[in-house]
Amino acid sequence: MLSYLIKRAFYMVPTLVLTSILVFILIELPPGDYLESYVAELLSAGETVDPKEIIYLREEYGFDLPVWERYFKWASGLLVGDFGYSFEYQLPVNDVIGDRLLFTIIVTFFTIIFTWIIAFPIGIYSATHQYSWGDYGLTFFGLLGLATPNFLLALIMMYLANRWFGTSIGGLVDPEFVDQPFGWAKFVSVLEHLWIPVIVIGTSGTAAMVRRVRANLLDELRKPYVTTARAKGVPEFRGLMKYPFRMSLNFFIADIGGMLPQIISGAEIVAIVMSLETTGPLLIQALQSQDMYLAGSFLMMLSFLTVIGVLISDIALAILDPRIRLQGGVSR
Amino acid sequence: MKADQPPLLEVKDLNISFDVQGGRVEAVKGANFSVKPGKVLALVGESGSGKSVIAQSILRILPRNGNIDSGSILFNDPGKAGETVDIAKLKANDPLLYDLRGGRISMVFQEPMTALSPLHTIGNQVEEALTLHHNKTRKEAIADTEEILQLVGFPDPGRGYEMYSFELSGGLRQRAVIAMALICNPAMVIADEPTTALDVTVQAQILGLMKSLQEKFNTAILLITHDLGVVANMADEVVVIYHGKIMEAGTVEDIYNNPQHPYLKALMNAVPHFEMKPGERLVSLREIGKDNKVIQNLAHRFKASTAGKKITGPHLKVDNLRKEFTIRKGSWFGSGEDSAIVAVDDVSFDIKKGECLGLVGESGSGKTTVSKLIMRAISATNGSVTINDGSGMTDVLALSGDELMNFRRRVQMIFQDPYSSLNPRMTVQNILREPFVIHEIGDPDQQQDDVVDLMRLVGLDPRFLNRYPHSFSGGQRQRIGIARALALHPEILICDEPVSALDVSVQAQVLNLLNDLRTELNLTSMFISHNLAVVNYVAERIAVMCQGKLVELAPREQLFEKPHHPYTKALLSSVPYPDLDRLLDFENIATASADSIGEWGGAFLPSNNGNLVRLEVEKGHFVLANENSDMRELRA
Repeated sequence: MLSYLIKRAFYMVPTLVLTSILVFILIELPPGDYLESYVAELLSAGETVDPKEIIYLREEYGFDLPVWERYFKWASGLLVGDFGYSFEYQLPVNDVIGDRLLFTIIVTFFTIIFTWIIAFPIGIYSATHQYSWGDYGLTFFGLLGLATPNFLLALIMMYLANRWFGTSIGGLVDPEFVDQPFGWAKFVSVLEHLWIPVIVIGTSGTAAMVRRVRANLLDELRKPYVTTARAKGVPEFRGLMKYPFRMSLNFFIADIGGMLPQIISGAEIVAIVMSLETTGPLLIQALQSQDMYLAGSFLMMLSFLTVIGVLISDIALAILDPRIRLQGGVSR
Repeated sequence: MKADQPPLLEVKDLNISFDVQGGRVEAVKGANFSVKPGKVLALVGESGSGKSVIAQSILRILPRNGNIDSGSILFNDPGKAGETVDIAKLKANDPLLYDLRGGRISMVFQEPMTALSPLHTIGNQVEEALTLHHNKTRKEAIADTEEILQLVGFPDPGRGYEMYSFELSGGLRQRAVIAMALICNPAMVIADEPTTALDVTVQAQILGLMKSLQEKFNTAILLITHDLGVVANMADEVVVIYHGKIMEAGTVEDIYNNPQHPYLKALMNAVPHFEMKPGERLVSLREIGKDNKVIQNLAHRFKASTAGKKITGPHLKVDNLRKEFTIRKGSWFGSGEDSAIVAVDDVSFDIKKGECLGLVGESGSGKTTVSKLIMRAISATNGSVTINDGSGMTDVLALSGDELMNFRRRVQMIFQDPYSSLNPRMTVQNILREPFVIHEIGDPDQQQDDVVDLMRLVGLDPRFLNRYPHSFSGGQRQRIGIARALALHPEILICDEPVSALDVSVQAQVLNLLNDLRTELNLTSMFISHNLAVVNYVAERIAVMCQGKLVELAPREQLFEKPHHPYTKALLSSVPYPDLDRLLDFENIATASADSIGEWGGAFLPSNNGNLVRLEVEKGHFVLANENSDMRELRA
């Protein structure tokens, strides 16, 4: 087990190096750099720019260095947790992201929990009552949730929450708590606001999840070992949980790999509509304004989380499924 | 037995139907039979006859769209004398029903691979049956489970307890399922095709095990099978079912010595058996309408395509063929050592023009790999395959480009599974035409005519050409597969288990068709099968394979009359005959199965001073034996 873990961790290194190069190329691809767009912005606003200051900034930020040198500077910074400097915010990237990361994790965590709590029972019900009215009805609502644009739902929910509960529009806390340290009152305020984005982001995810739970469980329900369990006299629900449901969990565990990166990048549009202080809108903005270190660090964080997520699901799969743990692969 | 002893299980006027799209299908129509305590009742029928449905209804584990419409299933539990339960009337969630399932009536299934969950250990699953019905401490439960595992033949029950189903061989898996069925000492075990998925030597062992345990525990068995040979060896009484109706019932002696119903008689005649004279035909239940004009026409064209080629000597020759597969050893977490598995080990044989060579072996013996190597579907590690093209032998393994394309026309294959070997998204028309298109033969009109001829050749109505494979039965699909294989006028036909997925009655039909086509079109063929009786029916010479090696090769009669190799002997002695005078000898069964090579005797094993070589014990009769062994010892 340990040797496997070490080997797996070792495999991650070339993957991450390759992605870092790719990311760097990507953010370098558009013509110009942050300073040029900054200058253009100033000029269009009718202000004068001192060319000396620009040259000074260029040297300061290393824009005059060759590409590969800048890459190494950036990449070696990543290794020690220095993500670079955001030009737009005039702050280290760490500080820019740090504040928002907590909110993002809270929102995503509750969204995932919400999705599971709703999707698993419905999916199990749909599969065990295939083609019944209940199945059709739940499927209908699920598809409705999948088809409704999130931003529309967000606007409606915000309006209703404001009308009925007097919740302030937008954001994750009441305006008076912004920039306040975390305390009980602020926490309550967060909870008050939290449920709207959770439901909005959760609905589409739930619908997709229900369909997947249903499809996977249906496949398993037809397998002979389910009949074996019934013939043994195992009570229906207990048998369902012990055999086919456990089997159908594989897909879901394999999914964890994709879930981690979602934590920081998911649901940008909803976040913008609801002006949530999460990391999603930040990424989009950084990409738009060519704030290269901020954008690049973001993308690197995403790929790092993906790699870690895949590792976690691989390990979890091996623990849960003896076939993966014990069987060797065959090659032709 | 006292005459007034009530039957253990009595099925009365049972009607079962299934809700399907656009109506309902009656699967069982008025079935009546009863199982006596401690006796074996065999329920015999072909696929779709409703025999498994009856089994499921007794445990009330029918699929959700199945309903018991009327009738009763009376169970007299000998443990609770005088009490009779009508299982058909119980509510689906009646606690009594859960007590019965697994506790008093249990079940053994057909597919030992899929009948066990791969995520739970064998011990966990066997023990579950016990703890559901009896209050046992964890320690007692483990002890009981290991005891029953020992009883069903696990060599090391403690280790078996911890193992997962995919780590066991098919035979051991089925033993585990039997252990699960017997651990609560039920009054009755329903065995639904318990040995159909197993190899013939393993089948004999499992049947022997079931018989001995049945006598030991005095358990009644409801044996569901399509195999009349298994029935003859196991049953006390027989019930024959056809299309949901019971055709005939009686003691096993009555049924075999004096069959009454035409269906049963026909079924008995449709099974190939070893006493068949050369040239004797199987009587198929539904004979295919033959179109002699088409066959003659085609025979003419087959001759034309091989005109000018006078083949002398062997048509196909295989020499020292070897194939290794690389396997990544060890677990997922272990070191990734590669090791080679030898699937085909030094196999040599030849087939004469127009001859049919039978290739017999159990699963994993490498017989299909040999066929794939000849077809150039996979590449050989070593050895040669040569084909006679009239002017000399051509090396098949060295062909490439146009030559290889040309070779593909000359050798064609018929596959085992008629369901997955036809593309479900293509019409039969397209399936049959594809070979012509690939090889650019004829214009569209000519191709169309040929396709129609091919349909007639296999006795199918050309009006069905626009249908998709799913609208045909298994036998019809296999005939489409045969038509496709014949489209390019091949010289050599390789049939890989062409009838093993088919029912007995359909099997006879397809075998007859293959035999007719083979003789009339003068095809050279290789017939691969695990079923000795089927090979005996079609082949002129038979090769026996075991663990990648060709252990014996002999003309048909000689192999059956005077087998020399212990494996061949074991194979022959394991076949259950549908004949009450030739029952299996369960006491001395299959000491030389593929798993027990060590018991073969020194003459058949390699030693320090002698390798295994092919020895000709009689003219044309080869045995794989130690080069230093004594001929007399071999002939013994």
